[in-house]
Amino acid sequence: MRKDLISMDDLKIEEIKEFIALAKVVENMPAADRVNYLRGKIMAALFFEPSTRTRLSFEAAMYRLGGNVIGFADTAATSVSKGESFSDTIHTVENYSDIFVIRHHEEGAARLAGEISRLPVVNAGDGSNQHPTQTLLDLFTIEKQFSKVTGLNIAFVGDLKYSRTVHSLLMALMKFGVTDFTFVAPKSLKLPDYFKPADEKYNFYETENLEDVIPTCDVLYMTRIQRERFPDILEYEKVKNSYVIDAKLLENAPEHLKVLHPLPRVNEIAYDVDNTEHAWYFPQAKNGIIMRQAILLKLLGVKL
Amino acid sequence: MNDNLLYIPKIENGIVIDHIPSGEGIKILEIIYSYPELKNVAITFGLNYLSTKFGKKDLIKIQIDYLNPKIIQHVSLVVPGVTIKSIKEFKVYKKIVIQPPDVITNMLECGNPKCITRSEKNLETVFVVTDKVNKRVKCNYCERIFNLNGLKTRIQP
Repeated sequence: MRKDLISMDDLKIEEIKEFIALAKVVENMPAADRVNYLRGKIMAALFFEPSTRTRLSFEAAMYRLGGNVIGFADTAATSVSKGESFSDTIHTVENYSDIFVIRHHEEGAARLAGEISRLPVVNAGDGSNQHPTQTLLDLFTIEKQFSKVTGLNIAFVGDLKYSRTVHSLLMALMKFGVTDFTFVAPKSLKLPDYFKPADEKYNFYETENLEDVIPTCDVLYMTRIQRERFPDILEYEKVKNSYVIDAKLLENAPEHLKVLHPLPRVNEIAYDVDNTEHAWYFPQAKNGIIMRQAILLKLLGVKL
Repeated sequence: MNDNLLYIPKIENGIVIDHIPSGEGIKILEIIYSYPELKNVAITFGLNYLSTKFGKKDLIKIQIDYLNPKIIQHVSLVVPGVTIKSIKEFKVYKKIVIQPPDVITNMLECGNPKCITRSEKNLETVFVVTDKVNKRVKCNYCERIFNLNGLKTRIQP
């Protein structure tokens, strides 16, 4: 059995489907039964980088399953600020808990934790590398809505350079056999080439023009331009409002088009979109806590 | 004038690094020179020799019986594909073409400044070769893919 959830790259398509199937089971479970599954278990949530929804949804997922949570939401008040190495933090905290959920600004941190710890490790985001739990909840959301993943036209919009949710989701969609991708990004935030396999079966359509792609899309995957990832703030100012969708722009969209966003949003989705049938980012966030319960159950070896 | 002086002399015993792409020999010389154990060894270096295979090649002859595998691996990372010949009594008795290993442990520095291997002390780097022809390697930690030639070595001579 897989001990950790570190990268979409590690998961076979069958395993991804298992997570989605398990989330569907969790979704239909009565709340009263749910609280018995992880009673007495402790989740260590180590957030070396700030996060609101990932951390809160993991904590809520653990509580909903009857478990407990320890951890920190930023490193200022911990021994990390005294210069403790990451490995030492892991070796210490593994004595206090049953599972790790780790967010770190350095890429590969969760991988290292998985290697040195006997406990299961969940990567809750490592720099601009991977965010597998977000990807699983994105796939769960898409699959739930469209009853399929393959064959959909999914357009990625915004920061395709630094957005780990985009990188993770892309990798997963390729495992599902998706070969056609649409990328909408300003030049400075284009998807790096190393995410585009040289294999001829893939078609990557890249444009800077959002209006062009809306009429033919099934899913618009929006991203926030992440200020904190820019080495140069002037560069951020140039592109920060590159893509903003509003209700008017979506008038040309197919009826079934859904707008997803890993959240938080800044300006990229106008509030008037919230009242349209296209807005799917809040249901997506709700699916997050369901998927995270499924992940905790699976990695802690609970059979349903 | 003795014509033989125009050629690299044959060595009786030692190591020949052959089939070095023209101009790359200097990189290997730098590696060799960085290892203290080779500082006082007689070395002959040839640039731009005519080669039937490559057109032009560089060539290095080292008068030493044994070349430390660590040095060979180091060379294989910087200039892959060269031939290493062991010479005994003027004859080639062993010959290998060296390529980087499929998994390269703690010999390369990750090119991603945000990789955990750049900050965590005592953490060995691990790279997996993903494309031998184009010399592409993937960091086991940050999952970035790099061209082998673009990465610095981490080897301590």
